[in-house]
Amino acid sequence: MRKVLLLVVLFVLLTSASVMAQADITIEFYFPTAVDAPINEIIQRYADQFHELNPNITVVPTYTGSYTQTRDTIRTELNGGGAGPDVAVMLTTDLYSFIDEGSIVPMQSYIDTLEDPEAFVSDIFPAFLANSMDEEGTIWSLPFQRSTVILYYNADLLREAGIENPPTNRDELLAAAQALTLPNGERWGLLVPFAGGFPIWVFQPFAIGNGRNITGETPTTVYMNDPQVIDALDFATNLGTEYAVGPAGGSVWGDTPTAFLNGQAAMIIHTTGTMTNLLNNATFEVGAAFVPMGLPNDEGLGYGTVTGGGNTYIFNPPGAERSPEELEAAWLWAEFLASPEIQSDWGAATGYIAARASAWELDPLASLAAERPQYLAARDQLAYAAAEFTSYRAIDTQNIINATLSGVISGAETDAAAAMASAQEQIDALLAEYR
Amino acid sequence: MDGIARAEVTSRTAVNKRKPLFSLLLPYLLIAPTMILVFIFTVYPSINSVVDSLYDPARNARDPSEFVGLQNYADLFDPDHYIGSAFVQIIGQTLIFAVATVVISVPLALLFALLLNRKVPLQGVWRFSLFYPSLLPLIGAASIWAFLFSDTVGLINTVLRSFGGRGVNWLGDPGFVLWAVIAVNVWKQAGYYMIFYLAGLQNIPRDFYEAASLDGANSWQQFRFLTLPLLRRTTLFILVVAFTFAFQTVEQLQVLGMGGPGDRSNLLLYYIFQTIPERRNWGYVNAMTVVLVLILLVFTVSNFVLFERGREDE
Repeated sequence: MRKVLLLVVLFVLLTSASVMAQADITIEFYFPTAVDAPINEIIQRYADQFHELNPNITVVPTYTGSYTQTRDTIRTELNGGGAGPDVAVMLTTDLYSFIDEGSIVPMQSYIDTLEDPEAFVSDIFPAFLANSMDEEGTIWSLPFQRSTVILYYNADLLREAGIENPPTNRDELLAAAQALTLPNGERWGLLVPFAGGFPIWVFQPFAIGNGRNITGETPTTVYMNDPQVIDALDFATNLGTEYAVGPAGGSVWGDTPTAFLNGQAAMIIHTTGTMTNLLNNATFEVGAAFVPMGLPNDEGLGYGTVTGGGNTYIFNPPGAERSPEELEAAWLWAEFLASPEIQSDWGAATGYIAARASAWELDPLASLAAERPQYLAARDQLAYAAAEFTSYRAIDTQNIINATLSGVISGAETDAAAAMASAQEQIDALLAEYR
Repeated sequence: MDGIARAEVTSRTAVNKRKPLFSLLLPYLLIAPTMILVFIFTVYPSINSVVDSLYDPARNARDPSEFVGLQNYADLFDPDHYIGSAFVQIIGQTLIFAVATVVISVPLALLFALLLNRKVPLQGVWRFSLFYPSLLPLIGAASIWAFLFSDTVGLINTVLRSFGGRGVNWLGDPGFVLWAVIAVNVWKQAGYYMIFYLAGLQNIPRDFYEAASLDGANSWQQFRFLTLPLLRRTTLFILVVAFTFAFQTVEQLQVLGMGGPGDRSNLLLYYIFQTIPERRNWGYVNAMTVVLVLILLVFTVSNFVLFERGREDE
């Protein structure tokens, strides 16, 4: 009994001593992660690992719901004069809102202090940095949970129809989709989740593959009223009308993988984030291929896709006045989350695409990719991936674009060119003051 | 002159003597908690909205907002402006939604109540199954319907296709999507209003009907000249609640297509919700809130006036 008591006293003394040593710097970390994995445990494990490496820094992770809820939480704290989190995972497309509000610190200033900044940057896939940089090329955020749009196909059905290889451009895609469509909606050749209010992300590969991303080189340039974009939109609309390889207006986001797994769709366009779900639950061979929504180029390829997901940001809003040491600690945590070891582990656990080339040579991701080459398709497609749509006033510009695209694709707007011109005018008027 | 004034003073003191101060104040004290809450959470925010709807918020939270008069309202009704391009259409849809929901669900509720107010086998089961939808959390109920509406895996299309139909892309078709949302609302609320009608029906004394049948009134006449007029109060209450509910629709839209495609299923409060995250929109958000409050006032007041006038005719 006395021994036990002694042990307890010793334990209390030891832990309180270590708490005192740890109490130096605390990092508040907000993360919105919505995948089928024990997210809280994984993140806490990373925080513990990080604490072992940096005993004076304690990371306090808080799961903050969806991206929207996280954004609203942070906004509310900042608008009320609060300091907000030290580090948060937020959509890459929130960059200019945060810059506009002056609430974040660029990662670039810390990258520059690294031993070999160039090696650090070049190890990150360029497509995943596209949304991190402002017009001057300054890096503000680091990739953490990233994804892209990808084409999934039912390899068994394609083989039955005599199609040996997945389509490489939109002509081949259309031919395959038509061959695989059964009448009366019994089976669709190709499902694209345009319905359900948020078509902008899945539409972007159509435009990118066709040679013109709707998001421009600067946060005030948007290409809606552009011939290549309008042509891409016509193709997207016709999939449901003239060609009828999918429902008019597109499918709903959440139903699309289910329909694919049920054999009610031979091919679908969806996020790489659903790949683990499809591979685990399909009763047929699931193929993953580059999104071929563009007209064939000289090599016959029409590839193009868009990146998505969340990056880490370091917050230092006016009034928070974080000390250089606190900001340095925040950077170390963000750098740790973007490290090859964590990215490899995170990618294998969640299905997000590891953002570092070197992460793919480390286990557990390396052995997973060897076992399931579909993950490699997601990685290799990054060569054709471009930035996700963003701009200043991104919430408003996205609302305009979503309403316009879904209006045209669903047939609510019959004149695509006029609708796109009107959207362009509204967006240009919104962004005029930022030029 | 002097005498009259003195007489008034004495009579007032007499009143004061008869009623101590406490009992004079008591009614006000009793409603004070409610009034304070109403003031803090209803009156003050409404006044605040009216004031803020006249300002253009600054680019940064630290800068002062700029007074712009009625410009925010003008932008709402400007079809070339990003905030106004869909606003009038959304107001129209909100009115269609509110009227359609009420016109379908309130008579349905009355019908259910009339059917279930008599002795029927399994009365409790019927009552419960009609009331059950209103017990479900809104998001859960909307998710069930989103699944039923699914083009590929949904029950409705599966049934339609088993009869050889093509099926309808309920949430992707601009012609159907608003009606899909209305259907969910009717399903969710008709059972709720039924409960009020059941309570109302049980308050009508049996003797009225006995007297009516002695006078030779058939069941339609009994319904038309007894039940309906005696349920007037209940109906007024239900109408006020139903219209207010209809204008407060937000959650199910988040699940059933997020107001799309092309804003064809968007409703006023959801549009406010969509534009609120950008602080530069707060002038518009407040202006839209004022419009919403005005519409609600018109509906509620006209409901009361119509029914009060109807009562005078009795």
